[in-house]
Amino acid sequence: MTHPFSRRAVLLGLAATSGVALAKPQHAFAALDDQPFAFLTETEARMLAALCDTLIPEDEYPSASQAGVVDFIDLQMAGPYGNGEGLYMKGPFFEGKPSQGYQLPLLPSELMREGLSRLEQAESGFALMEDARRNDVVTAMSEGELDMGDLPSDAFFDEVWKLTNQGFFADPIYGGNENYAGWRMVGFPGAHAYYQSFVDKHNVAYPKAPMGINHQPGGDGDLPVAPVRKEP
Amino acid sequence: MADKTLPKTDVVIIGGGWTGLTTAYELAHEGRKCVILERGDHRHDATSFGAPEEHDELKYGLRYTHMMNVRENTLTFRNSRGDRALPMRRLGSFLPGEGLGGAGIHWNGQLWRPLPSDLEMRSHYDNRYGSDFIPDDLSVQDWGVTYDELEPHLDFFERICGAAGTAGNLDGEQREGGNIFEGPRSNEYPNPAMKQPVSSTLFGRAAQEMDLHPFPFPSANVTKAYENPYGAQLHPCTYCGFCERFGCGYFAKADPIICVYDRIKEHENFEIRFKSTVLRVEKSEDGKTATGVTYVDADGREIFQPADIVCMNAYALWNVHLMLVSGLGTPYDPETRTGTVGRNYSYQTISAVDAFLEKDIVTNPFMGAGALGMVVDDYNGDNFDHSDLGFVGGGYIACKQYHGRPISYQPVPDGTPSWGAEWKRAVRENYLHHADFVIHGSSMSTPENFLDLDPTWTDQHGRPLLRMTFNFPENDRKMAKYVTERAVEIAENMDHVTSVSATNLAAEGEDYSVVPYQTTHNVGGAVIGTDPSTSVVNRYGQMWDHHNVFVFGACLFPQNLGYNPTGPLMGLAYWTLEHLKNDYLENPRPLMDA
Repeated sequence: MTHPFSRRAVLLGLAATSGVALAKPQHAFAALDDQPFAFLTETEARMLAALCDTLIPEDEYPSASQAGVVDFIDLQMAGPYGNGEGLYMKGPFFEGKPSQGYQLPLLPSELMREGLSRLEQAESGFALMEDARRNDVVTAMSEGELDMGDLPSDAFFDEVWKLTNQGFFADPIYGGNENYAGWRMVGFPGAHAYYQSFVDKHNVAYPKAPMGINHQPGGDGDLPVAPVRKEP
Repeated sequence: MADKTLPKTDVVIIGGGWTGLTTAYELAHEGRKCVILERGDHRHDATSFGAPEEHDELKYGLRYTHMMNVRENTLTFRNSRGDRALPMRRLGSFLPGEGLGGAGIHWNGQLWRPLPSDLEMRSHYDNRYGSDFIPDDLSVQDWGVTYDELEPHLDFFERICGAAGTAGNLDGEQREGGNIFEGPRSNEYPNPAMKQPVSSTLFGRAAQEMDLHPFPFPSANVTKAYENPYGAQLHPCTYCGFCERFGCGYFAKADPIICVYDRIKEHENFEIRFKSTVLRVEKSEDGKTATGVTYVDADGREIFQPADIVCMNAYALWNVHLMLVSGLGTPYDPETRTGTVGRNYSYQTISAVDAFLEKDIVTNPFMGAGALGMVVDDYNGDNFDHSDLGFVGGGYIACKQYHGRPISYQPVPDGTPSWGAEWKRAVRENYLHHADFVIHGSSMSTPENFLDLDPTWTDQHGRPLLRMTFNFPENDRKMAKYVTERAVEIAENMDHVTSVSATNLAAEGEDYSVVPYQTTHNVGGAVIGTDPSTSVVNRYGQMWDHHNVFVFGACLFPQNLGYNPTGPLMGLAYWTLEHLKNDYLENPRPLMDA
């Protein structure tokens, strides 16, 4: 091994060995930085970061990948969800009406791998595209207009968008929503919730910073100490 | 042939949710040995639903960890007979439960009574508007049981739940602040109504100004420390915002585990077996009675459990499925419009209105509860004059504050792109400044909406999947359009509103879809009535064709009313149990002549 693995380096394009010069450093965050991806290849991780950041770009608040969404999707694909938990996969498979829902013969992890591969075939260099061009590609994909062979591009888009949104706003225990990026953005205080004396105080902003399921006192400078919960 | 036959029990009960546990409670206290077969696992509010772990939107709200897992067993769906039905491969539109407490642990706790006219729907409309008023393509019918007959049972279930609300009709006297359209109550709600956040307060004020009649949601989210008639202790709601799709670790949302199971689990006549999936109800040689049920136990063995009485207490859809795979009753045939099992399946007609608010109005949507909000019932049932409207039925309009869980609660004004920079900005600008309305409408039954068995797909036991054929009837599309327009008027009349948008899932041209969540209110398919050619059970919930089989739950509804089903179906359950206990047990026989 020539150098320790770094997810951050992968996402920043620092480990990219393709001929293209370094991508602009927009995908800096990787919470599990020293661990190899559980599911994604490095190429897939870079493409996914570019895709997620088109959906939730950086502004005053972090982008999707800056909030750990690539880590989130990687873990989801490697876990029960990616492997078809809660999905009836008995054939035969037929194309249905939209009202009949998902009918592809692919597990979510297969859809992710297949979709990224076909995206690269359809639009090579996707991860390094200029923003405007990439926006156009994603728009076409979302409308089912991107040619991805027999894979409907909107089905792949729907899956990636669903997971990106989930990763940005789910509890940080799943690898996304790093430092409560999503929760801070909207003002959601998290998993601890006793509002009996507050709910009818109208138009008063709730003062507490977010706390997740695994929140540790002192884990973040401005956060209050988590109350000790007594068993009922 | 079963691997093993067990000793006979007095009563075998299929399913351990609200109706199954209540059936066991009531019959065990009558001295009958009751065995519940529950396909899922044991779980308990104290050990399974505690915060903060329970407050996990992804795991419970979006990966459906408390619900039925459709990996091995689902249904197939099509909009009409001309389509090929395909498996519902993921949960979406509705979320049946699995495990102790069934769907009763992840409900919102919206606890309604039917209107008196809902229960006599065909005769009511015939009397008020003439016998050709109900459109020909609807198979609407009377329930065969009246509000006055159900009232004591509706009242008792409200006390089981420690329901919170404001009475609008106490013994015939109308009361301001409650639902003046409701049928007469024999008692006040056992607990005072919930506190109201700013969103629903603004809604209530606007509705009042329009001479409508707003009142707080009738709620099984309890507002005070409370002991129910079975001795269960309930605690006040914390407004935590993790209600629907979640269990309540605070013991504040009435559910079948704390309200019933804990009070019967140690009784000598009570037994429950988990991981026990009933494959079929077995019939006697002459077919007139059931002899018991065959089920698969946790070790995969097929067990025959003989019983004197079989109670079907599974979720509405699975009761119908079990009848079809067991050959109970006569399956409905939409060609000839004969047969009854699977007939009159209906659903709920849902639309939504979003009112966006000025920035100094801070709603704190995460301070929510499953039955938090204000409601107007002026456009529900036949509470308004239908003469010139061209449809029957209606719905309630509620400004609700269930939750602010940030993956699912992302209100943005019309015209916002669905992703990207503008979307991101709109999500954060509106999250704390939005009032959320639901229009919860009735669903009329038709000869073309029905349940039968699928010819292609099977479950893990080799049984054909249930097949659902459903689309919104024209009647309900007209109703939803009308009531949604009324909701928009209220939103536009609210103070501090900057824009209003509406989403009608039953709009003209929109097919019913199993993808977006609407409501877990699948009803009908084994309906109650007084005529064996149009009902599966008689007015006591007893099967016409097999007198020792009693059927519970929303599968009994001949069409769906504009309310959430738990109150009405539990009223029916106690009504059936009254007649079982006081009449049938001593003298088993058909309780009505066919």
